[in-house]
Amino acid sequence: MTLRKRLLGWLADAALILYFVFALFPIAWMLILSLKPANQLFSTYFSFSPTLDGYRTVLGDSEGIPFVRFFVNSLVVSLGAVLLSLVVGLPAAYASARWRFKGSENLMFTLLSFRFAPELTVIIPLFVLYEKLGLFDTYVGMIWVLQLVTLPLIVWIMRSYFADLTPELEQAALLDGYSRKQAFFKVALPLVKPGIAAVSLLAFIFAWNNFVFPLILTSNEAQTVTVGALSFLGGDRPKYNLTAAAALVSVVPPLLLALLIQRYLVRGLSFGAVKS
Amino acid sequence: MTRLELRELRKTYRTRGRPPVEAVRGIDLTLRSGELLGLLGPSGCGKSTTLRMIAGLEAVTGGDILVDGASVVRAPAQDRNMGVAFENYALYPPLTVAENLAFGLRARRRSARGDVSRKVAEIAERVGLREILDAHPSTLSSGQKQRVSLARALIREPDVLLLDEPLSHLDAAQRDTTRRELKRIQRDLGHTTILVTHDQEEALSLADRIAVMKDGVIQQLGTPYEIYDSPANVFVADFVGEPAINLLPGTATADAHARLSDSVRLALPTPVAEGRKLVLGIRPEDLRLSDDEGALPARVVAHEPLLESGIATLALDGVDRHLVALTDPDVRLAHDDRVRVVADRDLTQVFDAETGDSLR
Repeated sequence: MTLRKRLLGWLADAALILYFVFALFPIAWMLILSLKPANQLFSTYFSFSPTLDGYRTVLGDSEGIPFVRFFVNSLVVSLGAVLLSLVVGLPAAYASARWRFKGSENLMFTLLSFRFAPELTVIIPLFVLYEKLGLFDTYVGMIWVLQLVTLPLIVWIMRSYFADLTPELEQAALLDGYSRKQAFFKVALPLVKPGIAAVSLLAFIFAWNNFVFPLILTSNEAQTVTVGALSFLGGDRPKYNLTAAAALVSVVPPLLLALLIQRYLVRGLSFGAVKS
Repeated sequence: MTRLELRELRKTYRTRGRPPVEAVRGIDLTLRSGELLGLLGPSGCGKSTTLRMIAGLEAVTGGDILVDGASVVRAPAQDRNMGVAFENYALYPPLTVAENLAFGLRARRRSARGDVSRKVAEIAERVGLREILDAHPSTLSSGQKQRVSLARALIREPDVLLLDEPLSHLDAAQRDTTRRELKRIQRDLGHTTILVTHDQEEALSLADRIAVMKDGVIQQLGTPYEIYDSPANVFVADFVGEPAINLLPGTATADAHARLSDSVRLALPTPVAEGRKLVLGIRPEDLRLSDDEGALPARVVAHEPLLESGIATLALDGVDRHLVALTDPDVRLAHDDRVRVVADRDLTQVFDAETGDSLR
């Protein structure tokens, strides 16, 4: 290794460390904030007497804000949205990858367009509709509206996974005596499992992080953590330590999920038996 | 075992906004029981479509498919009992070789458990897979994958075995051994078989009969010798044979010759009406360097001395075409050497210049 190369390596390391500090500093700041006692909130010193009071308050349903319920709501709504999208989206993705039918491309494009229209453009009419239909502040309503977020993602990504799968595999299964349905469930679906894992996680994160829909379409019963965490800022005096604690708690589920399915995320698709 | 008949089989692809594509235009074929028929043609000639229609993977536009006299054209693939070895093998990646083989038997729930493992062992023995039964497809060589694919097609004891370009992804050494294996296995088990290929060598060496296809139509059906020795038209003559046949335009004369140019005449094997426009076909191996009376003078353009024979490219004096001739291994030729060449009259092919059909 030449001196020049070594120098470049050090420079790259330094740049990376700098970036890590830049990227992680807000999170570190949140962590510090969440551990501060209420009376030291506005000091910028790093020395303070750390306390878990903030977490206790947030998880203990004091301050009149049912954060634990928001947390459960988020779980129910995000998981529900992802599951529904999988049930509807996997067959849709498969069909659109395997067959050209009348209007198939238009349908797929319409689905995609849900992603590039800002949510704010449709939120007022949706609010009016939800009021009229009795879906306002309900699980069903939230899961339904989150389909705008999760369904296009799942359909489009899974479509390319299915398209990468050679149709001969299913045809071989047909010749082996499987029905079309069995070929889908028992041959195609198991082969795209890594894809399903990856896209489910992505969809879950998007659903979990969604802010605008729960902000406008829920008030209390079905409110999620993204909106709920902000409640601590209201009132006579913003409680930053509680907001920080709530935010950090709400990072836990996506993080756990990501760690759990890391194996699938890394593996990706490898079809050793098929030569392209 | 099984007789397979195709009657007026057609396939037309219709896409909105585009003219319909006639991929297969009325194919009539009868395979005797146990026969291996080679479906040979360039890519896009409809041979794979034909195979997929027989397998039931492609809807039929018109015509009928009969297995032992009974029509299966309306039956879905899973009810037809056809065995297919796919070009890309299409083995189930998460399953081991043994599981891949058992898959079909289990899917049909026809065999008891013990029966399944017995059959797997049996076919593995026959196809030579015993050592790799526990391996996953991704760890196998192309030749091994092809054998597994073949075994999977065979294990269900199909009525008809369909092979789609079975050797095209193998390297030269594997191709030779796999080809011999294929022939042996097919002969042992006696399945009625269709082999789809664009590789003439594969078809000539494996098939009992060959159907040469072009543009969705069978150009000629015959034994490998018939296809090679008496091609039905210019296309078949040109497609089969390596190096390719020499095709020379000419005009028939009254004394059973063809005039290639003002100075060059070639003898015809059969008399043809005077003045008729012809295309003569002379295989490179039927051209001989010679000092005989009547041999045609030519200039050597190139000579590739291969081991078992050489390939000489010759410019015939007075004719604006190059000829390719096989030379004996001891012949040494250099660029611009003068030689004389003679064609075997009886082996010369004569085609009508307009229709391309053979006049012999």
